[in-house]
Amino acid sequence: MFTARVLGTITAVLIFAIAAVLLFMLPDSGASQLMRRAFSLGWPGGLVIIALLLYFQFGRKDDPNRGELVFKSLVGLLGYSMFFIAVANYAMNFNDESAGAPGEPRFLPVSLVMFTVACFMMAMYFTGVRVLLQIGGFMFFVAACLAGFGNWLPQVKADPPPLEAEGGKNVKEMSAADRAEFGEKLIFGAIGASGTQGAIGKGQCPLCHGFQKGFLSERAPNLFGIPTRALERLKDPKYSQADPNKRDTVQKEACPGCGTAQTAVEYIAESHACPNCYVVAGFGVKGTNDKESPMPAIHKPPIGLTIDELIAVDTWLFAREGGEPPPPDEIEKAYFKFIPEKDRAKPAGAPGAPGAPVAGAPVVTGDEPVNEIFTKALCFACHTIPGIPGAVGAVGPKLVEKTNAPIRLKDPNYKGNATTVREYIMESIITPSKYVVPPFPDNIMPKDFGKKLNAAAINKIINYLSQLEEGKPPPKIE
Amino acid sequence: MATVTKQARKKIWALLALGTFTGLLLLPLFLSFPTGASGETAPAASPAKPVEKSRDVWYKNEGPVMGAPAPKTTDGPKDYPRYNFESRVLLWVGLQQHLYYGSFVLAVPIFCMIVEYLGVITKDKALSRKYDQLAYDFVKISLTAYSLTALLGGIVIFTFLTLYPTFFTYLSSIFRPVMATYALLFIAESGTLYIYYYGWDKMREGFLKWVHVSMSVILNVIGTVLMMLANSWIAFMQSPAGVDAEGRYLGNIWHVIHTTLWNPINVHRLLGNMAFGGGVVAAYAAYRFLTAKTDEERAHYDWMGYVAMFIGVCFLIPLPFAGYWLMREVYAYRQQMGITLMGGLLAWLFIIQAVMIGALFLTANYYLWQGMERMRGAERYQKYIKYMVFVLITCFIVWLTPHTIVMTPAELKAMGGQQHPVLGNYGVMSAKNGAINTIITTTVLSFIMYQRANKIPTVRWAPLGNAFLVGLFAMAFINIIWLAIYGYYIPANVRVGLSVPQVASTLSCLFIGVILNSFMLRGAKDTGPIAWGQISVRSQYALIMLATAFTWMMGLMGYIRSSVRLFWHVNEIMRDNSPWAFTHTIGFGANMISFNVLFFWVTILFVFWLGSLGIKKAPVTVPAGQKVPLPASSH
Repeated sequence: MFTARVLGTITAVLIFAIAAVLLFMLPDSGASQLMRRAFSLGWPGGLVIIALLLYFQFGRKDDPNRGELVFKSLVGLLGYSMFFIAVANYAMNFNDESAGAPGEPRFLPVSLVMFTVACFMMAMYFTGVRVLLQIGGFMFFVAACLAGFGNWLPQVKADPPPLEAEGGKNVKEMSAADRAEFGEKLIFGAIGASGTQGAIGKGQCPLCHGFQKGFLSERAPNLFGIPTRALERLKDPKYSQADPNKRDTVQKEACPGCGTAQTAVEYIAESHACPNCYVVAGFGVKGTNDKESPMPAIHKPPIGLTIDELIAVDTWLFAREGGEPPPPDEIEKAYFKFIPEKDRAKPAGAPGAPGAPVAGAPVVTGDEPVNEIFTKALCFACHTIPGIPGAVGAVGPKLVEKTNAPIRLKDPNYKGNATTVREYIMESIITPSKYVVPPFPDNIMPKDFGKKLNAAAINKIINYLSQLEEGKPPPKIE
Repeated sequence: MATVTKQARKKIWALLALGTFTGLLLLPLFLSFPTGASGETAPAASPAKPVEKSRDVWYKNEGPVMGAPAPKTTDGPKDYPRYNFESRVLLWVGLQQHLYYGSFVLAVPIFCMIVEYLGVITKDKALSRKYDQLAYDFVKISLTAYSLTALLGGIVIFTFLTLYPTFFTYLSSIFRPVMATYALLFIAESGTLYIYYYGWDKMREGFLKWVHVSMSVILNVIGTVLMMLANSWIAFMQSPAGVDAEGRYLGNIWHVIHTTLWNPINVHRLLGNMAFGGGVVAAYAAYRFLTAKTDEERAHYDWMGYVAMFIGVCFLIPLPFAGYWLMREVYAYRQQMGITLMGGLLAWLFIIQAVMIGALFLTANYYLWQGMERMRGAERYQKYIKYMVFVLITCFIVWLTPHTIVMTPAELKAMGGQQHPVLGNYGVMSAKNGAINTIITTTVLSFIMYQRANKIPTVRWAPLGNAFLVGLFAMAFINIIWLAIYGYYIPANVRVGLSVPQVASTLSCLFIGVILNSFMLRGAKDTGPIAWGQISVRSQYALIMLATAFTWMMGLMGYIRSSVRLFWHVNEIMRDNSPWAFTHTIGFGANMISFNVLFFWVTILFVFWLGSLGIKKAPVTVPAGQKVPLPASSH
């Protein structure tokens, strides 16, 4: 009996060793990577099951249940393999948040379906724990349906507003058209997006306001025609242009002694700086009888537009109606009237601005195409990157990572934590000294890319580099 | 008479003991709040140095500056040390597991309290013992879970300290007295729970039993206060108060706790915990039912599953209304936050939630209809089920149809606008309010049918009562549907008010309908006993479906509530400057929720197993088919 156990164990180890060698000799593909990952995660348990199988086959020759035991071991091995393939699939796709573009499917719920199948399959043969496996399978199935539904829906990933805001732009040096376009981008998120429903920029205005003629705007007034309507508002007795203290709103003035608006430009500036000073009938906070506005002051958090940004926004409001927008100095003067200096939002990056990075400020926003990210981050100066114009540097290794990364992960000198190509690239960017490709020296590559590049930018770099293969044409840049 | 007086005296003593004990336990809480709600008490300042005052971001009153501004973090090892993994995800898993267990151990003692009390007031001794045994089983399960909750709480704190040290330091600098009180109450909760559990047998009879029941009340009071204190932290992060615009503490701890979203979150979480706890216990009962070896065992766990499901659904019914209140307060606090939730970035998550709510009610109805199959006499109601299925499915579809949603430009172009070319405006809240109220009212109708399935009313006024019930439900359905249609023809701000009469119709059916039906069934003629244990296997999977769906929905709603802060640690006060300040896709969120749900269920199965290792009490079983009173006193 003892000999049979020992023999069984040795044979199991041998089978596993051969399987592992064969597995790791397979050509590099998605499926083989998955199998390798699953193997590396679950090999100890698999070894035990195979040892048991061999023991049942050779060590219990007189047992009348031998056939059943061997068969159950095989079923167990199959279920166990499915379980670890599912785990490997989950782990490898963990950070895949692609929007379902061709070649980038979201596979995670597939893991849950595999768990479900494994549970129900094993429940058929392991009667002692049948109910537990069936319940488990059912729960996996429910979770698979819900996760699948969540993955099937349109995917939106929202980055925070960049720290290096465009508030640093000097709008006074721009042409009126550029200033208006900048304003449109702040309101709708992109130039030319004002006709797109649902488009929202840093100012978040379209969350509540309508901007198109005739558009029913239930949460806040439609701003179409506001430059002309502003003058009517000033005449509204409720506005109380002559004496702000006679206003019935919760806030009488934008700041003590600020007074009231005298022109359309000033009216818009005051509305941004002090939404509570005058509330258009029907748009106040419910229950306040239009004495309080639900709108936040736009120069304060959470929106926090700078004076320059507000100038751009107001320029667009005038320009989109075909009129000549007021000069930036006039708009600035209006804002200076209603926003005391201490309350003015500072461009990010300026001293004292919220979240201002002190050093190593991000060099990109992550919105740029990947070639621009490589250029701005100066990667091209040291590396050769196929497909990136001018990236022919030789200070660091050539970045064909679909070919190189798997080789380096297997390098005995590799001491990092990455297990996949994507993780390897991420690690090389953030902590370049974890593994230095010979014969290149250490400490040449800057160690602060983790600060200079945000998650979106790094993700784009990883997406691009992980597709580069030696001897094959580079992928198309989006 | 003498016995009654003695009984009454016992109750008075028990109540007095309860009041004194509760008062003593809550004393540290009140002592730790040195200032009142007015916020006018200033610290003793030296005359040479004038006290700086600043304005509260929410309460708008002035208070003395008593804390440092919220730190401005930068991405680096000082503010955001990390492992080779996304810190936020690690914290997410830790917190979610802690919350699942926390909810479970807060909910189960409430069940215990109800069931033990039922056992005390039941005159039938055998049934009384059965209730007592059930309550004991509940607390036994929760005891192991309680240790795990504390353990997970420790893990969460260490994770916070190691991955978000600057943020956690800021938060604890503001909540210092609350955290100290929390720790003290946790000790009190542990002590009470252990006395309650280990004293079960010693306090089995007479006056001591009343003291024991009172202890369950104390346990729940402490548990609820603990939950409310923990809620104050998350409510502060979402809708801060008691600090100025720079995040400086203004000396009034009550303002910091009592933020505008605190109470809505408290109510929502309390109800949610109960529904969730009901789901977990029902799943436990289903598991035991499916593995039962004898008819007696099956009968016992069939009954246990029914009781747990009943309690869970009782708390599920008011949940949408509590959710409505919370959302209304979110809109009142920051309109953009509400829109981000309901019509912006996170809106699709609410579609998932809508699907889940619909599925939960469908499953609850399915379980009741399955349950009717084990009652002789229920055949007369079976013919109505197909119509109810039709109504529920129709409402389900309306309920999950979105009105407006964030779309890509290509999708917009394909649809020719933001609204569906066919459905158009039909997905507005007016239709949804009508649909969910109809679903709940139909569920109430299912329950009333279940109540009278094996009974024929014999009271003289039965025909009148039946006519009243038919009229009540007919009027409710007409009112709900008519107002849903009328809502299309009036402005949105007026339409919002229509939800009040719709909800009133639903609640009228719930309370008047169920109570009237219970009175009608007094002394009713039995057409046969409930054959406990003879329910279908499918029904038990319905219970498991309920449990899984509750768990998933809890994870989903927690994710929604937390992610609506977007890139803020503390909304508008302290910005998240870590690399993970972005909002993940819905798919990623759904995967994480699934992972958390399954991780919880794997570990809770371990807890169940541990519970079964304890000293086995001889189960008090009632033979299959014996009459058993139900919590709604329906049978």
